[in-house]
Amino acid sequence: MAINRRNFFKLAAAGSTALAVGKAHADDSGLTVDCSDNYGVLVDTAVCIGCRRCELACDQEHTKSGRPPESFDDKSVYEKHRRPNKDAFTVVNEFADPAKPDDKYTMKVQCMHCNDPACASACLVGALRKDAAGPVVYEEWRCIGCRYCMVACPFQIPTYEYDKALEPRVRKCTFCYERITEEGQMPACVAICPNEALTFGTRQRLLEVAHYRIKSHPERYVDHVYGEKEAGGTSWMYLAPAEFAHTELPRLDHSAIPTLTETIQHGIFKSFLPPLALYGLLGLIMHSTREKKDRSEESSNHD
Amino acid sequence: MTSHELPHPIRQTPFFTKGTIVLAILAGLGVAAYLYRMIAGLEASTNLNDQYPWGIWIAIDVATGVALAAGGFTTAALADIFHKERYHVIVRPALLTAMLGYTFVVIGLLADLGRYYNVWHPMLPSMWQGDSVLFEVGICVMIYLTVLYIEFLPIVVERFKGRVNLPGILGIFNDLIESFLTIADRTLGRFISLFIIAGVVLSCLHQSSLGTLMLIAPTKMHPLWYTSISPLLFLLSAIAVGFPMVMFESILASKSFKLKPETSVLASLARYVPVLLGVYCAIKVVDLAMRDAWGYVFDGSFESIMWLIEMVGGILIPMILLSSEKFRNSVRWLFVSSALVIVLGVALNRINVFLVAYTPLYPDGVYIPSIFEVMVTVGLISGLVLVYRLLVMNFPIISGEESGPDRGRRLTKTPIAQEVRQGN
Amino acid sequence: MKRILLTCLVLGALTLMLAPLTSLGQRPMSAHPELDHVDLDCSSCHSCEEPTIQEPCLKACPRHAAMQKTGQHQLSEAPDTIMLAEIADQFQPVRFNHKLHAEMAEMGQDCATCHHYSPEDEIPPCKECHGGEANPTNLRQPSLKGAYHRQCLSCHREWSHDTKCVVCHLPAEGSGVVAMGYDSTDIIGISHPVITEPEKKVYHTPYEEGPVVTFYHKEHIELFDLRCVDCHQEENCSYCHDLQKPAQLAKSQEEVHAMCNNCHLNDACSKCHDTKERPGFTHASTGWELGRYHQGLDCRACHPTGKRISRLSNDCVACHGGWNQENFDHAVTGLRLDELHQMMECEDCHVDLQFTQTPDCTGCHDDGRTAEFAPPGDWINE
Repeated sequence: MAINRRNFFKLAAAGSTALAVGKAHADDSGLTVDCSDNYGVLVDTAVCIGCRRCELACDQEHTKSGRPPESFDDKSVYEKHRRPNKDAFTVVNEFADPAKPDDKYTMKVQCMHCNDPACASACLVGALRKDAAGPVVYEEWRCIGCRYCMVACPFQIPTYEYDKALEPRVRKCTFCYERITEEGQMPACVAICPNEALTFGTRQRLLEVAHYRIKSHPERYVDHVYGEKEAGGTSWMYLAPAEFAHTELPRLDHSAIPTLTETIQHGIFKSFLPPLALYGLLGLIMHSTREKKDRSEESSNHD
Repeated sequence: MTSHELPHPIRQTPFFTKGTIVLAILAGLGVAAYLYRMIAGLEASTNLNDQYPWGIWIAIDVATGVALAAGGFTTAALADIFHKERYHVIVRPALLTAMLGYTFVVIGLLADLGRYYNVWHPMLPSMWQGDSVLFEVGICVMIYLTVLYIEFLPIVVERFKGRVNLPGILGIFNDLIESFLTIADRTLGRFISLFIIAGVVLSCLHQSSLGTLMLIAPTKMHPLWYTSISPLLFLLSAIAVGFPMVMFESILASKSFKLKPETSVLASLARYVPVLLGVYCAIKVVDLAMRDAWGYVFDGSFESIMWLIEMVGGILIPMILLSSEKFRNSVRWLFVSSALVIVLGVALNRINVFLVAYTPLYPDGVYIPSIFEVMVTVGLISGLVLVYRLLVMNFPIISGEESGPDRGRRLTKTPIAQEVRQGN
Repeated sequence: MKRILLTCLVLGALTLMLAPLTSLGQRPMSAHPELDHVDLDCSSCHSCEEPTIQEPCLKACPRHAAMQKTGQHQLSEAPDTIMLAEIADQFQPVRFNHKLHAEMAEMGQDCATCHHYSPEDEIPPCKECHGGEANPTNLRQPSLKGAYHRQCLSCHREWSHDTKCVVCHLPAEGSGVVAMGYDSTDIIGISHPVITEPEKKVYHTPYEEGPVVTFYHKEHIELFDLRCVDCHQEENCSYCHDLQKPAQLAKSQEEVHAMCNNCHLNDACSKCHDTKERPGFTHASTGWELGRYHQGLDCRACHPTGKRISRLSNDCVACHGGWNQENFDHAVTGLRLDELHQMMECEDCHVDLQFTQTPDCTGCHDDGRTAEFAPPGDWINE
């Protein structure tokens, strides 16, 4: 029993070491990965006119849901808050500062393509990975369909083809991976945006643009580039005319989402030492108690 | 009673009783629901959606299943590593529970996986993703399941070595299996300790990692359960529930097979439980205090009530009950008030962490399991009990002695039991 | 540590591999490659030594300063109408009425409402700076598409809440783009929300002999099938949206009458002016009350000539010239002819085809009977 308790303390100690490391990691508000040369998109909701062309372009490029093009002109969809789903990787929603309910502005949501994506950290077979170009890419042939990525995503973006009995896929914005890496084009939604509310470029340049716009039009924007620091930074970033708390974008820490789990995970498996140490310790106990047992074979009954 | 009695197949009760027929019906319904899920897909068979990607198949079939199978490794540690010899009588039942428990965890998991036929992917080194907690859980469960089968092999050897006689055409495999059993018998004895220790280490790893799983969703988890020591709490609760689960089964089995309960062994095993629960409870409370999360306990929300039930009903009450020697020595109290309550308490904890604590960012209704989900889960549990009964009746697992018709009051052995033991 | 190194290596390798695919993959040599050809040092724009993304410490832009010195430009310098035909393969050119917009802008910041760069000599057209495609080296500058759309839509959608392409872009022939059934030459078509036209307007004028002018607005539209712009020509937003309505108050007599005179130029004053309010239009006031068959007809069924409704002859044959005893079912008049009378020609009874007058029986019958008392068939009860 005493040994049992010691065992606990050892594990507790291992756990707290892992936590200490995790703290240090989490407190570091700097980005965990340098993604300044990654591609990103700056969404300027003050310029967005809510025309839903991005939804149309995305549907024609990816989801091909068969909805007629005219259906994307329907503005009545703004009456109800919508979320991306397997048939729509991006949706536009309407928001307003409660203090100024008439000043409506529209905002497109899609996968943020985090710098340090929780979905990719969660995926046990590497079906989701952060590409060096910026997109968080899904390789469906690896996927086993556990949907842990959906649990992990801090933006609740991955959606699932529950309706398929065979080969269901995780569905989310691809950042038009082939278009931007192989064809050298802009993502379909960016290309179609009539007002150029979407700006495509490297993350660093987009941040420059974003801060320039805030500086030059302080009356138009709240001084906050969403995605610059949230969740360790994201490839897609937002400017808005009012506090982001009024939108559907969640309030997030500046530390990357998977920091804690990865710290614990790598703490436990540091060069496989902790498991091996436990193995050795248990072996030692087994060995020593067996000798004791052999010696006191007869008297063991009163224990 | 004699605790040195050897394990033997329990043969004197028929396989089918009223209870097992009910279980068989439930298991049959479960199989039907399982097949429906495989053919029709997840949307038709479950209430899972983009907001709630995980339901009771993960929370109960997998997370709770793994926790309740912890008896296997705690008992192995106690009896085989710490060499508390008197507990050897419960090693085999606990091992069987663990083996079947994990097997059914995998079966349940397959129902939940969208691409269940890709379940082997984590074994390919090209697919390894070391950052993923789920990867670690998956690999550990796979290896541990193998270890459990290896640990079970000696029981198969004991039962069938020299007696392999498959019916009909299968008879051609007799020699092959016979020689396999002979080799296993010769080698296993030497290496079995390595596997036993490996089993304990693997268990510690994935039991704790199950607690790490939900830490990747800080914004969706309720603060009562979102703590960075969640892996430690999962490990401690798994260790704490291990013995109560063994006690629960042992008493259930002895009632069902009309055996005399191993009261003294179980009572002495029960001494550990309040200590283990106490450590678990203390760490949980201290953690809550350190995180300044007390406010959430009494805010009257659904989550706070569930947390209180889990803590008071599942930990404090059994802790107090099992601290009293009087309750420990009563089979009924051991069973109902303690073992059952602790088992349900830990099950509730797993359900709380995986379902209750999880709130989607953009909820569109609440997740309530569908009838098919419930049918599969109930069917799996029923199936597990049936297979357990089948194996216990055919393999030398339980070493209890049969009691008379008045349920374990008399110590006289029935002739059948003697016959069986001679047969061994 | 190893993991980080490995990640760096992998990321680095991938970046190198991807770099040749696009110029964006390369790190810029200077912070602003788009300014490489311009003779500027950092201090031209930045006030601090090491500007960062978060704290760029920008000075006032020299070009902004140039904008402050906006030259005095006259509306006459610019064309009245500008055709925007950059995507003529998909859409017909957008006809931009510069003059109209400039007049509207007088209520705002004049030219600077739209022209953010107005040097003293000449305002350059948008496309001189804004390229056809987004400029990857200068993400601050929208492309021509973005520049145009921002200029138009930022105002237009405010009152229209409409962002359909076809509101401005009429599909080109064979472009595959489907028209949406808008009449983009009318006000409502041009992104204007629905205007609820008034039923009736009563004007009190200084004209002594007939101070009251009653104008049935809705009736006019329906009677003459008018579009808004048929009367409201060249009206800017302030005509309706300026609360002070200075434009209306200052109107001269000619301007007041101009709209009516489009059609009523040769009419007498009493056509509109009266001493009291007039009732609305009924067909009876023309001297011919519509019977049950004519009531259900659209005006244009009889008066097809459009804006100017001509007076029609009361003679039935003026319209129904093709009827004869064979194709006309007399029963619709309420009188079903007996077999004998069915055989007769129309004019045997209706002398000279004057259907409004009493039919004449004396051509055949000399007993002095009239159709009223001895009908040539049966009256159909209704």
